[in-house]
Amino acid sequence: MDNLLNKEELEFAEHMREFYRTEIPEDIRYRQAIGSEEGTHDDVVATQRILNKHGYAVPNWSVASGGQDWTPVQRHIWLNEMQLACVPQPLAFNASMVGPVIDTFGSQEIKDRFLPATANIDIWWSQGFSEPNAGSDLASLKTSAVKQGDKYIVNGQKTWTTLGQYGDWIFTLVRTDPNVKKQAGISFLLIDMKSPGLTVRPIQLIDGGHEVNEVFFDNVEVPVENLVGEENKGWTYAKFLLGNERTGIARVGESQVKLARAKAYAAATKTAKGSLLNDPAFSARITTIEAELKALEFTQLRILSTQVAGADKPDPRSSILKLRGSRLQQDITELLTDIVGPQGLDFVDSREVRTKFTTLPHGAADALKTYFNYRKVSIYGGSSEVQLGIISKALLGL
Amino acid sequence: MDLELTDIQQELGATVARLLKDKYDASAREAILAGELGYSEEIWQQFAELGLTSLTIPEEFGGAGMGFGEVAVVMEEFGKALVLEPYVPTVILGAGLVEALGTDAQKEEILPAVAEGAKKLAFAGYEPLARYELASPSTTFADGVLNGEKVSVWGGDAADTFIVSANNDGVLSLFLVDAAAAGVTVDPRRQADGLGSAAVLFENAPATPLGAGDPSAALEYVIDTANAALAAEAVGAMESALAMTADYLKTREQFGVAIGTFQSLQFRASECYALLEDARSMALYAKLAIVQDPDGTSKERHRDVLAAKLVIDSSSRHIMQESIQLHGGIGMTMEYPIGHYAKRLTVIPRTFDEQGTVNQELADLGGLVEPAAADL
Repeated sequence: MDNLLNKEELEFAEHMREFYRTEIPEDIRYRQAIGSEEGTHDDVVATQRILNKHGYAVPNWSVASGGQDWTPVQRHIWLNEMQLACVPQPLAFNASMVGPVIDTFGSQEIKDRFLPATANIDIWWSQGFSEPNAGSDLASLKTSAVKQGDKYIVNGQKTWTTLGQYGDWIFTLVRTDPNVKKQAGISFLLIDMKSPGLTVRPIQLIDGGHEVNEVFFDNVEVPVENLVGEENKGWTYAKFLLGNERTGIARVGESQVKLARAKAYAAATKTAKGSLLNDPAFSARITTIEAELKALEFTQLRILSTQVAGADKPDPRSSILKLRGSRLQQDITELLTDIVGPQGLDFVDSREVRTKFTTLPHGAADALKTYFNYRKVSIYGGSSEVQLGIISKALLGL
Repeated sequence: MDLELTDIQQELGATVARLLKDKYDASAREAILAGELGYSEEIWQQFAELGLTSLTIPEEFGGAGMGFGEVAVVMEEFGKALVLEPYVPTVILGAGLVEALGTDAQKEEILPAVAEGAKKLAFAGYEPLARYELASPSTTFADGVLNGEKVSVWGGDAADTFIVSANNDGVLSLFLVDAAAAGVTVDPRRQADGLGSAAVLFENAPATPLGAGDPSAALEYVIDTANAALAAEAVGAMESALAMTADYLKTREQFGVAIGTFQSLQFRASECYALLEDARSMALYAKLAIVQDPDGTSKERHRDVLAAKLVIDSSSRHIMQESIQLHGGIGMTMEYPIGHYAKRLTVIPRTFDEQGTVNQELADLGGLVEPAAADL
């Protein structure tokens, strides 16, 4: 996209490109590039602290809270170049979820208390939104917070809490008024995960990993000063947060890197006709994904370009970014799985084997696991069906 | 970064849209289609007056000397109204080839006449049973005359002058042939979408070489430009087809409710919308590929246009099929306009190539993403 950028934007892109490749340690970027899960937590923390030192961890926050006065195009470049350089992104729960909510709706006191530690990932945040019976219908959540003096008493259960095993604090949607319309009785509460009565239970996923958790609240006491904004306004804040979640969800840069990796493995895979990359049916599958990924990139740029022209509201076309971005991410994981072949069907943690055996093919340790793991991307952040519903209503008027 | 249309382009689009709104609604189009020509000479003259036939012709030859950005705007409007007149054959293919390859005298003779709306052109490249092959024609040129048969000559029913590809002593060359010359037999055909075409027989037809030298690069450039123009046209047609379909879903009632309240139909329409946005993005991508390569020398241009065509074609196919399905039986009738969009959106993807070949050629060019793995 360089040829579409003006001089300042191009200089900015070159600066970020250089920065990521010189300031973020090579071993972290390497692990990210080959899909290794080893060191996920430490790599995220180390990277975010380096970014934060240079003011690049939370550019989307207000300048007063440590953000950058960037244009939408600059923000896009910042993120896209990060993905192309295989730099682990700042923890989304901190940088694009709770941070912006506190920054936008919190009191000065709560900002001072949480934002610096959130930017520097001194606090690892978890997300307490979904419940067993509140998925796409999030507003039907039941976890209750009853005010008693200067405390809320919280009872209930959250689920799908990603990386909750590392969580220091959890930002939580709780029901503070059960007697009004479901959206009108929700509040946004910050809860210390070391509080008595709070337990985290791992959920094993079909990818063989432990990524998500259930969080139980049994009479957990939360000081009232941990409420963000006003009581019963939590749904407004949640919608704001989920709107942020959708921007950047196209993950074009990341998909380009994964596709480049798949193509390199395909080129190195010998077949009777040359390499897998020369196989007509296989190469047609690749070119189709490449062309669709280019379409997604340009849809993102078109949306950005109108934002530059002054539109401030979230663009309903963002739903297309989520819908298409999810499918392409999934298609690429499937492509990689098929390139690795039968040896990719064993669940292994690394390519290493016992002495005298042949090392497993590239991608053998992560292709199929990522394929299973990425079934999530069309479910989280507003499922594909939720996006189709938005398109139908907001863009087609049905 | 600025991907928006310029003020001039917006104005041009609005002007064309106004003309087509006045003169080219469904019933006017039907009347044109039912006429002897299958297109309207009066409309063609209005295109000329508006400067559409002279849009890309250099100023020294009586044109406006504009770029492809303006063409794309015009083509999108043409797509919305399903314009029948032979604009791509004359202005994009014909004048494009003359400008790229012709001698000064040939340009002087042909381009001002095209600009004024006084001359129509057609490119005669395809031959019987040879699908989209252009590189090795069976038609031959020797001793100043052409012999051979050309088919699927878009705009060939209306052309005053043909640009014909032929084997000239083992070398691919292009020739100018007067449609009225002795030895030229034109068999006018009508495509499924109503656009005019022809099969043309050349029997010792007098022909003049178009310029000199290998025309392959210019041919590829001009067809890329035409494909980018069709991409814009397809976007316009898809936009109209989807708007029409969404309206139908809102008004058609069954089981006592508008059928657009059914989630299964909403989701299908939404998927069409996403495909339209994909197509819009790739029409833009194709446009940039052409605009950023004014002298036709870029190595990436052809590859980029192929990638765009892949997406445009699958979006066209899906939206065309779903438009009929979501309309139900009424979508099958000639009387109702949606079927006409479906026809154009069926022809466009098959005009200069079809999906399988495009896919393979794109793969042979290495695709869009450079292979790279950190552990290799």
